[in-house]
Amino acid sequence: MLKSSKILVIDTATDYVFLSLLIDGIEVGYTYQNDVRNHAVTVMPKLDELLKKAQIALKEITEVIVGIGPGSYTGVRIGVTIAKMIGYLNNVPVKTVSTLALLASSSSAAKIMARIDARRGNAFTACYSQENGIMKATISDILVNVEQFDQTHEIPDEIVIIGKPDMEKILRSKLTVFVKNIHELVPNYLQVTEAERNKGKI
Amino acid sequence: MYVMGVESSCDETSVAIVKDGKTVLANVVLSQIDIHKEYGGVVPEIASREHVKGISLVFDQSIKKAGIQYKDIDLVAVTEGPGLIGSLLVGVAAAKVVAMNYDIPIIGIHHIAGHIYANNIEHDLVFPCLALVVSGGHTELILMDKHYQFKKIGETVDDAVGEAYDKVARVLDLPYPGGPMVDKLAQQGKDLYHFPRPLFDSKDYQFSFSGLKSHVINLHHNLSQRHEVFELADFCASFQEAVTDVLVKKTKAAAKEYQVKQIIVAGGVAANKGLRGKISREITDIPVCFPSLGYCTDNAAMIAVAGFFKYKTGNKADDYTINGNSRLEL
Ligand SMILES: [Zn+2]
Repeated sequence: MLKSSKILVIDTATDYVFLSLLIDGIEVGYTYQNDVRNHAVTVMPKLDELLKKAQIALKEITEVIVGIGPGSYTGVRIGVTIAKMIGYLNNVPVKTVSTLALLASSSSAAKIMARIDARRGNAFTACYSQENGIMKATISDILVNVEQFDQTHEIPDEIVIIGKPDMEKILRSKLTVFVKNIHELVPNYLQVTEAERNKGKI
Repeated sequence: MYVMGVESSCDETSVAIVKDGKTVLANVVLSQIDIHKEYGGVVPEIASREHVKGISLVFDQSIKKAGIQYKDIDLVAVTEGPGLIGSLLVGVAAAKVVAMNYDIPIIGIHHIAGHIYANNIEHDLVFPCLALVVSGGHTELILMDKHYQFKKIGETVDDAVGEAYDKVARVLDLPYPGGPMVDKLAQQGKDLYHFPRPLFDSKDYQFSFSGLKSHVINLHHNLSQRHEVFELADFCASFQEAVTDVLVKKTKAAAKEYQVKQIIVAGGVAANKGLRGKISREITDIPVCFPSLGYCTDNAAMIAVAGFFKYKTGNKADDYTINGNSRLEL
């Protein structure tokens, strides 16, 4: 008998904690919960709950897919750290996916824009198209001034700022990226730190 | 009993494995000092990013060095605070994964308890014990009647010692991290300036270093303005004499009042040669212990040792809701 695939999905880069468990491509359980600024406390107990319900030990997970941002710096670090440790400890493949792609997957529109607030009129943005249930990126993750961007770009069918990811759709797409060296996995912050920016100016 | 320690409260990512609260099998420390050097101090967001970058490799190096397997570990001890919140969260998240993956109990450790227990690696704590905790974030006198029981009897009302050292070093244009440089130069200088010894005659165990720091900075400014020739070494020596006089006097008085059987010095400033020398010279009737230099600065071995004693003294393990807490009280 073939060993079944048990994929764990983690995304903590937004105000929501998203966890999903897929066995042989079917989502058998998930958590999608708003818990602003409390991911550090919530994620592991929720993961424990999810695994116990499915009667699967963390060690039995055969692959991890992690949302690597962009989004909340502190939030995304928690999910990426967890994915990195699971991948390292159990020597299982880890794939990354844009948090914006996860968001966009919740929509069934043909032309989707996903957005995560980045304060001061800015937003992390990406655009996708989908046909026959296959999602493709048309504009990859960027940090934009919302007003400027909207004036110069075509208006999509739907703008998504919140929504439970459709993992089966993500699995069908080519939006995940295999991490070659687990020790090199880091979030996609899309921005250097303020300190580095200021240093550049001097 | 094998305890895995995890420490990420500031700018060092560290994982250690310690047997029975004593024998260090591995203590891997990934320091970010060269990165923060350019900014003249630790930049919290950069520190957090570096922790994520290095975390799994530090675990891997540590377990390989120790020559044991994850399933052999009996307890995971992780620094839960105080410290930089973004940094703390990385270590805490990683430690929780190890605990869950191998079904090992996890226990949160106060960073200062770790510094104190660094002394237990090369010595044995004898009670009642007085700990002088001196670092970039702390200046405290802590009394321990038995294992894992801490009673704060005095602390700084403003700057921590290490903080004052770093600020003085910055004014004197010494390379970061400035504290050890001030100490080094002080060895070559003389106490020419007789700076004030803050709270020297107060009857309590409170400390204050902000005024002294300002005094040093002002004098340096004035001398420079008047183009007077002065030796940096004398500045450093004068500053260091003032600081260590206060630290030693209060430690000595507290040791006497509480009739302790042992004095331990803990934290990054415990590496300071001036302090080590003076305390050993002036306190001769009670044994004084220091951790060796590698265990003075932040490391996970000390967290593992503290974890061992916290667990052994009957404290319950935490669950997966354990969180980072930047203002945790001892
Ligand atoms: Zn410390």
